[in-house]
Amino acid sequence: MIYLLLAAGLFMGWSLGTNDAANAFGTAVATRVIKYRTAIIIIAVCVIIGSFVGGANNIGEVAKLATSNEVIASTDVVTDAIESGMVPMLKLKSALKAAIIFVCAGLTVFGMSYFKFPVSANQSITGAIIGWGLYYADYSNPEILSVNLPQIGKFAATWVLNPLGAGIISFILVKTVGQLLEKKLSTLGGYDTLIKTGYIIAGILGSYSIGVNSSANVTALYFDYAYSETGVAANLLTNPVITAGIGGIAIALGVLTYSKKVMMTVGGSIADITQMDGFLVIIAMALTVVLMGNLMGIPVSTSQAVVGAVVGAGLTRGVKQVNFGVFKSIGLAWIGSPTIAGVLAYAVAFLTQGFFG
Amino acid sequence: MFTKSTKTNTVHILLLEQLRDVESCLLYFESFMRAACIQETAHETLKGLGANVGEAEAKADISLRKMIDSLQGQSYLPSTREDIISVATSCDKIANKCEGIANHVVYQRFSFPSQFSEDLLKIVSITHNQFEVLESSITKLFTNFGEFLRDHSILDEIRNFESQVDRIEHKLNEEIYALDIELAARMQLAKHVESLCDISDTIENIADKMQIMLITRKA
Repeated sequence: MIYLLLAAGLFMGWSLGTNDAANAFGTAVATRVIKYRTAIIIIAVCVIIGSFVGGANNIGEVAKLATSNEVIASTDVVTDAIESGMVPMLKLKSALKAAIIFVCAGLTVFGMSYFKFPVSANQSITGAIIGWGLYYADYSNPEILSVNLPQIGKFAATWVLNPLGAGIISFILVKTVGQLLEKKLSTLGGYDTLIKTGYIIAGILGSYSIGVNSSANVTALYFDYAYSETGVAANLLTNPVITAGIGGIAIALGVLTYSKKVMMTVGGSIADITQMDGFLVIIAMALTVVLMGNLMGIPVSTSQAVVGAVVGAGLTRGVKQVNFGVFKSIGLAWIGSPTIAGVLAYAVAFLTQGFFG
Repeated sequence: MFTKSTKTNTVHILLLEQLRDVESCLLYFESFMRAACIQETAHETLKGLGANVGEAEAKADISLRKMIDSLQGQSYLPSTREDIISVATSCDKIANKCEGIANHVVYQRFSFPSQFSEDLLKIVSITHNQFEVLESSITKLFTNFGEFLRDHSILDEIRNFESQVDRIEHKLNEEIYALDIELAARMQLAKHVESLCDISDTIENIADKMQIMLITRKA
């Protein structure tokens, strides 16, 4: 019965799938380079592969952040629960806390989408974790601070580094690879083959990176970080690879069942760039998300990376070609999503302190 | 992989075939106009030359349909298919316009006043040259696409030809409306001149379409 609480995370994964799929194949589908059905099958398969192959690394990092913010039980807390025979209660509380975080993040995504504000699901989850921690974690404790502050710092740094990195990679790719490929073209048919192949490769890389990056956000809060030391399961999931894999499957289901509308909308708006730039932008996003994830150790926003990459591609034609106004609305999503989710989580933590405190 | 494509050659061959048919229609039209500019030309002769234009137009129509059919099952992107069809159908309009002018001249038993012959034939000749440049540009899509993406100044040549035609049209209209004949006759003559210059406009529009094609595909 307790495993029903996993549904909150899976739902979050499903909604991530419905939204983030657009980042990998939106442009290709909207411009009819790739058929929608082909795109969703490629995304679903690659997201699952990415989550199983590379998701576990982020699981550990998210779990570390969640542990220091009192969302996931630390080894000491689990050890105490084992000694006092309270493991089933601890397991229930941990799963409930995870579900609360996902509900807060989910409400943020829903609310911001309802009012037509751009939103980042990944950022909302991290914001909710920090919001919960701000209520419960002892920020006067240097040990907590030494874990939390760098994590929060990293989180804020990705707001700049992620789009900046994507912009630089995209600029270099368009300037070098794009123009080199253009020189090699001899026929219109050859151009079409290049575009199709490029979008498929970019889509595969993009989907893989979503699997690596986002799967952790979906299920890491159900992961028992202390299991390797205690050997007793104090949360719903104990294997990091399977934890990430379940997240990947949830995202894949979102892609397969309800991604068309977002894919057409987002893809259409990104499609202002040329077809050649389009797939290079996705490759830049994928590289950035995976690199940033490895470098910073936390899942980053794929949407931030796409925006940065689009701007980078635009800059190859000069500063005047870039619509910097896009940053106003996107900036709102970057700052608004984690802030609102954090405030919600803080409020819920306050209201439920009698049970969790 | 991206430098050679044997699969899509059929489209290129059939499109060239269509362009050749349109060009032959233009050549027949040139002969027709030469005859129409001579007052003494017999109506039956003009009718026969007009029929040649019509037959060439019908042949170009068949080539267009064959080319469109050949696009099915090819590895082109939907947007490329649409662009190729748009260029090909616009080229077909050139032949249609030639046929339209020839028919109306025949139906109206019209002959162009001799003082305008030189300018009228100049328009036809410039239009023919303009079409030849268009043919070369279309060929570049299938043989030298990468270079065409970087340098499409050849399309400006097409626009220059249209400007020349525009200038002659303007001069002709001024002279036509200064003639001491019935207004209806002046308007009839001006209408024929307008239709004639419209062929060059159509070619220029195709060049614009091609430029859009290139810009949207540029890296």
